[in-house]
Amino acid sequence: MTKQTLANDKPLMCKIVDKWEECFETFSFKLQLPVKVQGAKPGQFIMLWIPGEDEYPVGIAGLENNILEVGIARMGEGTEAMHRKEVGDFVGIRGFYGKPFTPPEDVNHLLIGGGFGVVPLKMLIETLMKSEKKQDIHVFEGARTKNRLMYLKWLQELHDQGEITFHVCTDDGSFGYQGFPTVALEEFLQKTKTPSVIYAAGPERMMKFIFDLGKKYPKVIDMQMSLAGRYMRCGFGACANCAVDPTGWRICVDGPIFNTEKLEKISDFGVYERLDTGEKKKL
Amino acid sequence: MSLATKIGSLTLRNPMILASGVLGTSYSTLKRAYEAGLGAVVTKSIGINPSSGNANPSIFALNEIRSVISSIGLANPGFQVFREDLEKLLESSVPTIVSIFGESMEEFKEVLNGLTDLPIQAFELNFSCSSSKKDRAQISTDPDLVFEIVKELRTNTTVPLWVKLTPNVSNIVEIASSAVRGGCDALVAVDTLKAMVIDIQTKQPILGNKRGGLSGAALKPVGIRSVYDLYEHFDEEIPIIGVGGIYRGEDIIEYLLAGATAVEIGTSLGVAYPENMVRFFQMKVKKYMEEHKFSSISEITGGAHK
Repeated sequence: MTKQTLANDKPLMCKIVDKWEECFETFSFKLQLPVKVQGAKPGQFIMLWIPGEDEYPVGIAGLENNILEVGIARMGEGTEAMHRKEVGDFVGIRGFYGKPFTPPEDVNHLLIGGGFGVVPLKMLIETLMKSEKKQDIHVFEGARTKNRLMYLKWLQELHDQGEITFHVCTDDGSFGYQGFPTVALEEFLQKTKTPSVIYAAGPERMMKFIFDLGKKYPKVIDMQMSLAGRYMRCGFGACANCAVDPTGWRICVDGPIFNTEKLEKISDFGVYERLDTGEKKKL
Repeated sequence: MSLATKIGSLTLRNPMILASGVLGTSYSTLKRAYEAGLGAVVTKSIGINPSSGNANPSIFALNEIRSVISSIGLANPGFQVFREDLEKLLESSVPTIVSIFGESMEEFKEVLNGLTDLPIQAFELNFSCSSSKKDRAQISTDPDLVFEIVKELRTNTTVPLWVKLTPNVSNIVEIASSAVRGGCDALVAVDTLKAMVIDIQTKQPILGNKRGGLSGAALKPVGIRSVYDLYEHFDEEIPIIGVGGIYRGEDIIEYLLAGATAVEIGTSLGVAYPENMVRFFQMKVKKYMEEHKFSSISEITGGAHK
């Protein structure tokens, strides 16, 4: 029987069936789920358990035929432990947690990601492309150097096939234009006449910058941003370590995707993070 | 019909209190829990220094028994930092119970003295976190230590002291008696049960700390039995607050019948939207009171002993 989604339970052990170097210090993995499930939606996340090492939230890049794809950038010991895992090894997953992106129709879809934030956007791109109606999808990606651009080949191919418009840049000019992806985003917003929705995932300070930029353009009818980069323990709302002030919203269940209306109310957004002790720290 | 209840000198608008450890890290989640309709909130357990607690995984659900195992290991921002959150919370007039812990009498005193000037409703003394790194269960299972600490803290504050009891003892009444003799104002029963989950694929305990504490539906019969035993012994000498595995309004009634005057609810409020859960709880409790012709919570308390 195919389940809609997974039960909120102890880690479900999954075998690694594929692993490849996605870009500099970043590996993609395919995990075989032992149960039939559809369920996962773009923007949702899992808690990934590397037995004996660590557990942390990870964005979902795709889920097809019970094969879950994730992308893991090197961020510290926990991610290094995952990088050491090979095909045939087992890791645990809990999820699928959180509220997904909710794209409307008849708009420009403007996706902008920084670093590992591109991971959940991959699934969003695939979902938008599957839509019966042709969607205008623009992907803005930037990285320090060419070898740090995630999903570069895939995105270029989609661009060449006319599925998406890919706006790519690097800080050092080693690929695309030199500068930040927000430059191309703003140029686009100045030109377009169609209502647009911005989807962003990545470092919060970057997203806050995009948020403030988007607010200047009335044709941006909504912004949906993922705050999944925050420290989490449970993933299902109990510990509230990920909660933001002053609303008390838990990123893991009330988010991680928040729209413009909600982001406006979160004074912590792009300003403060919460440490594992519960203390707040300026971003 | 009134849902109001009294715990010693304290009157709450209803008997539902947020349990420690859930939604309790910041003023905003505590405020949200209260605004969802609870009678009061208990904060996360606070100690003298900021602590990151145990390695992850530190909490996960056990679907088949509607429970949660956790080993947060008393992660907390330290009382000095937390005081700022408390002040914000108290500005909104939220009835607040502060859970505190210490590795020693001196630590307990330092935390208590650092917060006792605030207009809080009570301190809840955490002697018994099943998931902590060091085996502080030493305090919770030692009648003499419990007596000495409660007695000493009693002289340091006029704020009511609640003692949270561990179920991991052979005789909970013995420990409770020490706490009562020491001068506590209410008993809270029970804390989590010692527990462990092992993954059979990798042959490893799943929690980062290996050992943890069990909360949720599986804990409820243990909590009910504990409250029943305590009420049988103390009768109305001391208020009892029931906690463990409340998922439905009926569970609240069961705790009241066993002898509780109020209940603490944790896990079920955490795994769902507190706003919805509290509404369901209220509806069920009111419906029961109507059907059984109760007009107040105190009329239900101890009903199973008659």
